[in-house]
Amino acid sequence: PRPGVHPLPPGTHLLFAQSGKIDYVPLEGHNMKKNDAKTVLHLPDKVVIAVAYDCVDKMVYWTDITGPSISRALLSGGEPISVIQTDIESPEGIAVDYLGRNLFWTDSMLDKIEVSKLDGSQRRVLFDTDLVNPRAIVTDPVKGHIYWTDWNREAPKIETAYMDGTNRRIIVKTDLALPNGLTYDPYSLLLCWVDAGTQRVECMNPNQTGRRKVLEGIQYPFGITSYGKNLYYTDWRRDAVISVERTVGKELDAFLPQKRSRLYGITTAYSQCPPGQNYCTVN
Amino acid sequence: DATQGTSTDCEACPCPGSSTCAVVPKTREVVCTNCPIGTTGRRCELCDDGYFGDPLGRNGSARACRACACNNNIDPNAVGNCDRQTGECLKCIYNTGGFYCDRCKQGFFGNPLATNPSEKCQPCNCLSYGTVNSETTCSQVTGQCECLPHVTKRDCSACEPGYYNLYSGQGCKRCDCSAIGSTN
Repeated sequence: PRPGVHPLPPGTHLLFAQSGKIDYVPLEGHNMKKNDAKTVLHLPDKVVIAVAYDCVDKMVYWTDITGPSISRALLSGGEPISVIQTDIESPEGIAVDYLGRNLFWTDSMLDKIEVSKLDGSQRRVLFDTDLVNPRAIVTDPVKGHIYWTDWNREAPKIETAYMDGTNRRIIVKTDLALPNGLTYDPYSLLLCWVDAGTQRVECMNPNQTGRRKVLEGIQYPFGITSYGKNLYYTDWRRDAVISVERTVGKELDAFLPQKRSRLYGITTAYSQCPPGQNYCTVN
Repeated sequence: DATQGTSTDCEACPCPGSSTCAVVPKTREVVCTNCPIGTTGRRCELCDDGYFGDPLGRNGSARACRACACNNNIDPNAVGNCDRQTGECLKCIYNTGGFYCDRCKQGFFGNPLATNPSEKCQPCNCLSYGTVNSETTCSQVTGQCECLPHVTKRDCSACEPGYYNLYSGQGCKRCDCSAIGSTN
């Protein structure tokens, strides 16, 4: 391959939450292998909202609003291990910094964004101001940035900051309504989101001005993740995972799990970590 | 377990209707995988997020799962709007509160059931100098703050006629003007 161009790892899955369970569907190229979809974790009495994946230890992390709590488990199977279970009320977004080994989450009742090590230690509040309905959160581990959405109906926004909490700023606040889902693609360097109010999928390069509508007229999106040329979002009205070709702005396919109920967060479980390192990994 | 080779290896799923089930490999626990709409749990005994009830009647009579009943004072984009069993509303908006978002929350008054959100619950805005124990809460229906002696108005922001010194924080005092020297 050309320098700077990294092939996407095969053996990648989509992980998504459907109240009492976390399912996966394998990707073959960019296609969802719908017949091979399986449940990774049964959590029958939980309501799982957000999922994140650590490509180093191959662990899935999730937020549960019934506990409420944050837990993790090996993707290969294994008992859920509690990570955070105190001072937490409505955790709705979660993100892993696989390089710095940190965990970030949003809480829409405490109106906070917090960070800890992946095992829950060294917990710290990053932000507790100007947050009304914080929801999705994602990381760019290479640059050390976090991005999150706030679906405050009065003033919805997408914000960014450095992982240490400095340099907080709003990057999107116009033509936004209910930005429920957010994804950062380390290959294309694009930040993409789904909005259940404007009913759109949109993308931008956070280092540049301008944004692009990928798809309009979608129904009720909740979560979104990226993989190569595609985006995959969950939809509350269709109870489905829908794949969209980002460059063409076209719906490709839809996966409907057997159980008909709302789908929540979705993430891409890469078979190997995306290339790159940051200041912390070399120091 | 279909590998034992006896006629009783496979058992019917212990789930309502014709719901399917699965055995969790680690724990050998049986979990229903296709509960009826609005229900979830190992045996379809719980309601999904956004619903409440007790579908199998584990705590009294069976109540089918139905959508959170919060008087239109919840946001449909929120998650965890009500307790899945009791139905207690957990994320009331428009300054409402109470079990069914059917009251104004503390410090607010008005009609929580008004159709227009701007007509629902207003802040009490009591003037703390004029209220008993500097209280800032008011009657949730009338909005009347609890005023100190001779303090008046809904928000306790004025002295009664013939009284002064509202900002003493101890109620208003009589003016005690001489009837001879004053105009009326």
